[in-house]
Amino acid sequence: MSEMIDIIVDSQTYKVENGSLLIDLLIREKIKVPYFCYHESLGADGNCRMCMVEIEGQKRPQIACDTLVKPGMEIRSTGANIEKVRTNILELELINHPVDCPICDQAGECSLQDFYMDYGLHNTKVTIAQKVKHNKHIDLGSNVMLDQERCVLCARCTRFTDQITHTHELGIIGRGDEARVSTMPGRKLDNPYAMNVVDLCPVGALTSKDFRFTQRVWFLKTANSVCHGCAKGCNIYIDHNIMKYKDDVIYRFRPRRNDAVNGFFMCDEGRLSYKELQENRLISPLLNGEEIDEKEAIVKAKNLIEKCKNEITIIIDANLYTEEIEAILAFAKELGARVCSPKEIYMDESFQDDLLRCANRAANAQTIERLGIDTNEPNPSNLIINFNHPQDFKATSLISFLTHNRPCSGLSLPIAAYSENEGTLTNIDGITQKCEKAVYKNKPIPTILEYLQKVRA
Amino acid sequence: MRDCKIVSRNFELPNSHTLAVCKAHGGYKTLEKLGEYSPLQIIDIIKKSNLRGKGGGGAPAGEKWELMPQNSNKPSFLAVNCDESEPGTFKDRQIITKDPHLLLEGILITCYAIKAKHAYIYIRGEYKQFQDILQGAIDEAYADGLLSECDITIHRGAGAYICGEKSALLESMEGKRGHPRLKPKNKEPEWFFDNPTLVNNVETIASVPFIVQNGADAYRAYGTQKSPGTLLFAMSGHVEKPGVYEAEFGTSMMEYINHFGGGVKGGKKLKALIPGGVSCGVLTAKECENLTLDYEALSSVRSSLGTGGMILMDEDTDMVIALKNILEFYHEESCGQCTPCREGTGWSDKLVGKILDKRGTKEDIDKLLEIADTMNGKTICVFAPAASTVIVSFIKKFRAEFEAKL
Ligand code: SF4
Ligand code: SF4
Ligand code: FES
Repeated sequence: MSEMIDIIVDSQTYKVENGSLLIDLLIREKIKVPYFCYHESLGADGNCRMCMVEIEGQKRPQIACDTLVKPGMEIRSTGANIEKVRTNILELELINHPVDCPICDQAGECSLQDFYMDYGLHNTKVTIAQKVKHNKHIDLGSNVMLDQERCVLCARCTRFTDQITHTHELGIIGRGDEARVSTMPGRKLDNPYAMNVVDLCPVGALTSKDFRFTQRVWFLKTANSVCHGCAKGCNIYIDHNIMKYKDDVIYRFRPRRNDAVNGFFMCDEGRLSYKELQENRLISPLLNGEEIDEKEAIVKAKNLIEKCKNEITIIIDANLYTEEIEAILAFAKELGARVCSPKEIYMDESFQDDLLRCANRAANAQTIERLGIDTNEPNPSNLIINFNHPQDFKATSLISFLTHNRPCSGLSLPIAAYSENEGTLTNIDGITQKCEKAVYKNKPIPTILEYLQKVRA
Repeated sequence: MRDCKIVSRNFELPNSHTLAVCKAHGGYKTLEKLGEYSPLQIIDIIKKSNLRGKGGGGAPAGEKWELMPQNSNKPSFLAVNCDESEPGTFKDRQIITKDPHLLLEGILITCYAIKAKHAYIYIRGEYKQFQDILQGAIDEAYADGLLSECDITIHRGAGAYICGEKSALLESMEGKRGHPRLKPKNKEPEWFFDNPTLVNNVETIASVPFIVQNGADAYRAYGTQKSPGTLLFAMSGHVEKPGVYEAEFGTSMMEYINHFGGGVKGGKKLKALIPGGVSCGVLTAKECENLTLDYEALSSVRSSLGTGGMILMDEDTDMVIALKNILEFYHEESCGQCTPCREGTGWSDKLVGKILDKRGTKEDIDKLLEIADTMNGKTICVFAPAASTVIVSFIKKFRAEFEAKL
């Protein structure tokens, strides 16, 4: 790291690394500066010209994303001069932009809309008929829709496919006000991380086919969580909402920045994995496929456990929270049960890449290993108690605690999914992370910890 | 007016584009002298001559050459800019069709000085028939063994004006869109696939053989102290004899026009003149009266010498139509990266169109000036500032004509 220096922004002194980018400081210190094209993961491109600041001793305003800080620098980010510059550039940005925020899916999380409220508020000077027309519904592939008229040509999306995925599907074609984003001839947007361009896009040009027009974003509630798609543990936001007379529903996952784990991104498969959390869920206890009452089910479970004491094998899903795994271990100890978490089924070499995705598809595999839990297949046993492990097991008797419906003999009890519960996970690199409870069901499904209490009672 | 033909000395010879004619008139002679000089000495001669880039900017060539590393483990390249696309400018094509070997000779000397083994000539897509002549000369030079130590390749552009901007030119040569790059923080060479590269205009390189052959002083004997040597000045528009005629810097503008061009067409009066391609601010006839053709004189009237391609406009010219014409060019050719340029060129074009349609208001004229201000000094390259200068100069100097149409 190079030396720390002092620079002044709006009469206040800040310590900052010599030679670092001015815009990084402004973003970090939450000093208001409008910008479209700069992104910490993509670097400076300098095309939007919105991030203008005044630098003492320089005749003209400069873009903060291409300014390296030097000792003694004096920056002004506010004031009539610089605001006038921003207002004028923004007016140009809007000249060909459809100003129909009420029907745009990005409204509420759109940089252009925000900057307009801060610096714009111009009177309309051109009619819709005079605007440059482009294609408004282009299916780029991978669930991504493009509206070329809403695009501000910040080139974040094209730089993402160039610099991050190296797949080069996207480019800008045409010159001047005819410039627009497009896929390369004969190609589709097609890579396992494609949907990140939707988050990168500062405006409503790129939207997710999966999410668009399902919710207005200001109604959504958000919880911090971790994706359970693989052992990488990409940090996510779970965006959910309870519509009137309805249940709490997840509408999307978005990557949450964590430089130690996933940076700004997540893979598409993980992003769409929220759907599984609300599809084909087991909601009522079953005995050999027939619904039974919960109280009855608990009694049956207790009896079975009592009957088979010392001949029990407990199987743990490596996706459970650490708190749950530890509680199960304690329970197993009381029963003198063997414990295992067969690993084979989680391994998927084809999923691995050198960006984020890893071959181990169990979110808490590292904890299983740390606690020394056997990862081989179980020996034949009288009673198997399965805590949501994805495999089917054979035993004289079977008790399964399951999030999802699946053909299972014996007793099955529904448990809360990770989004309906809180806990911690340790990822493949040994980083322990917390997941908040996001979803509050109208009729909550018990958690494993709750069941353990009931069974013990 | 003194006759001074440095670059155009062979232009009038029959078959001047052939190797035989070129050699018969002293072509490639400088190569024999190269043994006498080290690369650094050649650069020194160019610096002493104060040769200035002839592509429009007028930056001292020697200083650019000096930025090229002499001992690099990466290959160095020369890229010759022949993307001549500015309205009013058609001088480089004279060189590549009338004396292409002079350019090749200049390339060989330059490559020797900057230790490059490969030169590219970036030529605008529309110049296909001129490119064929140039390619013929390159083929002849290969056959003659002249290019045994240095390759020369023509790279044909796809017809975007902005590729004449040196970093956009290199992006285009790398197979990408011709988008100007962000300016480096320190003085450094240009980069072609991350290799140090020198970009110079055709005429600049074509001036090199004379300087190395005759010495810096011989070159400085022409022109002025600060703008030494000559330029292939040109005239188009309302002039009797449009064309390219070499003259030394410091020549009186009106004398040049009358001597070579035979004055304004049809004996009419001059109304306005754009001095060096449409990126220069327009001048009134009055401003032209005592003007000389050199960088300093033109910047003293808040315009620029540009490429020296003058566009004359006679007394009957409608300045609003003239501006509309130029803005259509800017509207079409903005690369579209920077917001002010992408949107500003289009909007100003539309606003002038509105004024021409008699639907304009006074606010539109003010808006034009405001857009021009937003385009000035706030973009990656100088394309938008050039458009800005043009708008401001037209409106400030001929405002009455705009108001008459409201
Ligand atoms: S589609 Fe979005 S991310 Fe891509 S260039 Fe346009 S505004 Fe930027
Ligand atoms: S000023 Fe215009 S031409 Fe130059 S880089 Fe920006 S958009 Fe492109
Ligand atoms: S963020 Fe600096 S120019 Fe776009």
